[in-house]
Amino acid sequence: MRATSPERSGGEAPRRNTAAEARTAFAAWVEEAPGGRSFGQIVVRPLPEGGYELRHAADAGLPDGDLDVHVDPREAREIAKLTEGGEYRPLKSSPNLRRGWLLRVEGERGLYVAMNYLYPSAVVHWHLHRSGELEITTYRENAARQSGIYKRVQRLSDEGVQNAARACCEDAVCLKKTLWDVDENTPLESERGEGEIPCPEPCSIFVSFARRVRLFERENKRDLDAIGLSPSEKEDLSALVEAAATGSVPLAREAEFEEPLNERRMRYRRLTLVPKLRPDGDAATPEEG
Amino acid sequence: MKALVIVGHGSHLNEDSSLPVYEHAALVRDRYAGEFDEVVECFWKEEPSMRHVLDLVESEDIYVVPAFISEGYFTQQVIPRELGLSGPVTRRDGRTIRYAGPLGTYEGMPDVILERVDDLLEGKETRPGRTALVLLGHGTDLNKNSSGVIYLNAERIRERGVYDLVEVGFLDQDPPIAEVVGGVEAENVVLIPVFIAEGWHTRETIPEDLGLTGEVTEMADRTVFYGAPVGTHPSVADLIVSRARETDEREAELARDVS
Ligand code: SF4
Repeated sequence: MRATSPERSGGEAPRRNTAAEARTAFAAWVEEAPGGRSFGQIVVRPLPEGGYELRHAADAGLPDGDLDVHVDPREAREIAKLTEGGEYRPLKSSPNLRRGWLLRVEGERGLYVAMNYLYPSAVVHWHLHRSGELEITTYRENAARQSGIYKRVQRLSDEGVQNAARACCEDAVCLKKTLWDVDENTPLESERGEGEIPCPEPCSIFVSFARRVRLFERENKRDLDAIGLSPSEKEDLSALVEAAATGSVPLAREAEFEEPLNERRMRYRRLTLVPKLRPDGDAATPEEG
Repeated sequence: MKALVIVGHGSHLNEDSSLPVYEHAALVRDRYAGEFDEVVECFWKEEPSMRHVLDLVESEDIYVVPAFISEGYFTQQVIPRELGLSGPVTRRDGRTIRYAGPLGTYEGMPDVILERVDDLLEGKETRPGRTALVLLGHGTDLNKNSSGVIYLNAERIRERGVYDLVEVGFLDQDPPIAEVVGGVEAENVVLIPVFIAEGWHTRETIPEDLGLTGEVTEMADRTVFYGAPVGTHPSVADLIVSRARETDEREAELARDVS
């Protein structure tokens, strides 16, 4: 399912260099907008003296002097590594990029390097998506490839995939626009996202979350109590009550899906547990936006 | 154009895991600027994923080096599958992708381990008497290669005769590391984890299980010197490049064999 290139169809045309094309196209797109382009959580703008400037969109109005100035595009990796609160960011498209920095880079190569640390693969996928060439891999195709501890995601139900995508991929937790579907005939029902960064295939965070949801599914069939709650649902409720009773609910790390108080896990519970607890339809709104 | 792609495991939870890959990539960019036009990192559990990394690379000659210690599930199944490799050399879309072997089995690995030991012992006092080098591996019952690579390096170092004793110990299989460190007949025990990165084991479980207090721990009958994982040593960057170069030699040999 890789994008076909001229060589593959037997022609003699030179190799199509999509990465180089994407680098140039992205720089040109930025050049067209002297006021800056927003991409994920950043604003990138061409500088009148040449080169580009990147910063957090929320810092757009701040004077340069208020920001930590960087000039090495590879420092973008450090910028993208931790949240404001010092937590590790395993998913760079999470809406938790820290503020307070400014990155000036030279040339489209510098821009490409910086972008690939802030939003890995995003520029090339953005480019391929714009030209209608981005190859999409469905959940089922991705799951069929999995092995080892992830093999069980093959048995996740369609409904499980839908709920996992609502809990894991919507803009509140990931700024990528989900382009993949459950399979070729079963589109995703979740909000796909408003952002510029396409998501052509379930990522490793999603696969790991899907594995967790599959374990919940299995549990549901076997171990429900008299009022229909599963052991892990009760564990999550207890953890939530205990934490809230102390006055603060410390969330687990972003991808720590084995922990009750994980945000995505709680989002999944909102979809599947809250309706059980409020059977009269007074369920929480599906998306807080 | 030539690209070096370094593949790491990465982690959803811990930022230490990918750090050596980034550091080695930076060193290769510095030290081998004339040899590789691009040096790109990718991961199993972080971004860019192996699945997408080749989309980011501009070069047509690509060398993929796994930053893994042993041959096994990742190097034989996961990496080739995710990168779409069909063997040691894959030609696709006008590109040639050469896939190198893991780091731990490379003949240069013992040198890096010994450099790690020198760094650790530098300026530190040892007790009179014997010195044992203990290589620590993860070990697992599922994959013989995982322990095999530790034995292989121990044997290669033993042959050089620089230490009175060279032993191996494991976290998840026999002989257990605590027994080896406590039982080896030497006054000085130098313990080196043959791992790629720092992590929960190297920082927490190992020191805790062995009662180590830092780089140097004085015990009743011995001093234990505890080194950082071999994979974080700056010389690993050179090892990665050697592994990449070796794929060319291998290809040349194959070509000779055919002709
Ligand atoms: S699979 Fe979901 S969480 Fe992962 S990058 Fe795509 S949209 Fe984001």
